[in-house]
Amino acid sequence: MAAEDMAAAAAPFLNVEGLTIRFGGLTAVGGLDMAVAKGSIHALIGPNGAGKSTTFNCISRFYTPSEGRITYDGRDITRLPAREMAGLGIARSFQNLELFAELTVFENVLIGAHVHAGRTWRDALSARPRGVVEEVEHLIERTGLTAYAQTKARNLDFGHQKMVEIARALAIRPKLLLLDEPAAGLRNREIAALDTLLCELRERDGLTILLVEHVMQLVMSISDRITVLSFGTKIAEGTAAEVRAHPAVIEAYLGREAAQEAAHG
Amino acid sequence: MSSSPLASAPEGRPGLPGAALGGLALAALLAVALPFFTTGYVVYIANLLLVFVVLCLGLHIVIGETGQFSMAHAAFYGIGIYASALANRAVDLPYPFAMLFGALVAGAVGLFIGALALRMRDIYLALATFAFGEAMQWVFANWDSVTNGPNGLRIAPARFGPLEILSDKQAYPFVLFFCLLAIGFTVVVSRSRLGRAFRAVRESEVAAMAMGIDVRRTRVIGFGLSAAVAGFAGGMFGLFQTFIHPDSLGFQTTILVLTMVVVGGLGSIWGAIGGAIVFGLISEVLRQAPQYQEIIYGAILMLFMMYAPHGLFAFVGERIREARHGR
Repeated sequence: MAAEDMAAAAAPFLNVEGLTIRFGGLTAVGGLDMAVAKGSIHALIGPNGAGKSTTFNCISRFYTPSEGRITYDGRDITRLPAREMAGLGIARSFQNLELFAELTVFENVLIGAHVHAGRTWRDALSARPRGVVEEVEHLIERTGLTAYAQTKARNLDFGHQKMVEIARALAIRPKLLLLDEPAAGLRNREIAALDTLLCELRERDGLTILLVEHVMQLVMSISDRITVLSFGTKIAEGTAAEVRAHPAVIEAYLGREAAQEAAHG
Repeated sequence: MSSSPLASAPEGRPGLPGAALGGLALAALLAVALPFFTTGYVVYIANLLLVFVVLCLGLHIVIGETGQFSMAHAAFYGIGIYASALANRAVDLPYPFAMLFGALVAGAVGLFIGALALRMRDIYLALATFAFGEAMQWVFANWDSVTNGPNGLRIAPARFGPLEILSDKQAYPFVLFFCLLAIGFTVVVSRSRLGRAFRAVRESEVAAMAMGIDVRRTRVIGFGLSAAVAGFAGGMFGLFQTFIHPDSLGFQTTILVLTMVVVGGLGSIWGAIGGAIVFGLISEVLRQAPQYQEIIYGAILMLFMMYAPHGLFAFVGERIREARHGR
């Protein structure tokens, strides 16, 4: 445990230090420290309104923090514009789906590869840039969307739409994948498929994944490390088992009485 | 948006359906044969329609691809007309250079206006571009030393080396060629990485940003390109017209082109082209009854927005598909 902590502190792939986000007089997140180790799946959980999505949007640079520092791969990204994230290898998905609704699944994923699709003039002018198309087709297959490649994104059911978001994010060729509630609204079978895909991305592709998630079934099964937020501050951090047993976590989720019961009984 | 069989082409799927291919072949044959069996007036109308096709392609880039409204396209068209006419008069070079100059000037003004106006969106953007269009018309009508003001400007005949174009029939093959060139250009842009960025910005700005697309820059480039194509249409106008008057570059022209693009089908190149042809013909017929013209345009525009928001061709395509499936 201690050794693991030290390793994470030595070279955290993504490091959040003293992150504070205020909206007017309201402090949404106050002084959050969080280190995400390379090649791990790290989950950010907490009750509604805990500041998870706010933190997530700061890391993906859609919000700018009031205070604190975010470093990624040894580089300070705190003030970089959001559009530069893709080029750095940081991809994100959106909680409420931000698909290119009128475009086909193929085109959605191809736009994900935007930063790789313009190496030569010929590629930039092509509807099917070399090297990129094969990868896009592979990602579509990997996310189980081959049958829908030419379907408009808006005509898919919710589960498939979520998969398009992930395929499109993967087309960025990310080193860090940020997923905002990828399992929300999915059926059990779909959650199982997502579980398999995310583990495969960690094991086979060496991806680092940070996810905000409410679906505990997924979080507990795949996360190497979990950070728990409540009212904008970190109340616990550790492995699934540690977090599950942590009194502050039980209290935050189930209330004080439940926490006392758990402690005594 | 592209549920018509024709509209599937720009989405990168190879091959058009047989019926569409036959239709295209027929249209091509008709286009080539036209000057041999009709009068000068019909060829004049054909020239005008081809210019409107290019003007619609310009508006399609900004509305259909990037999803921004522009009420200023008559102004960019006008800039193209004046700039190429003046360049043609000033320099003894083949006319395509004058056309290129017209497109570049319109494009440059478009980039500038885009950079200013695209800070706004929706109704504010529409109003800002409308104001620019009105201001430009005022410039055309009052900058006497350059545009000859309210008297209008004579356009010298276009020259291609020793060949001087003096009639509509002579101009027709050139107008047709430049129209095809503009169609080719628009198709290439639409299928390219830039075209995909346009549509990404249209569909979701935040997602586009997350994909590494510079949203603001993409919108401004789209606006500039769109203005350049409209300016190029202005240069084509000078191939067969001998005179331009500021009155014909006002809001009515913007509305006409807007109607063509919307009625033809938002978001589809082939819809914009079809809309230009169908609506160009209708407007020519309506010339007999100018007092009702605006009412009829307005009614058609409203009916389409209510009952066929994806445009004429998507509407017809859907009806055909329904009929085939026996519904």
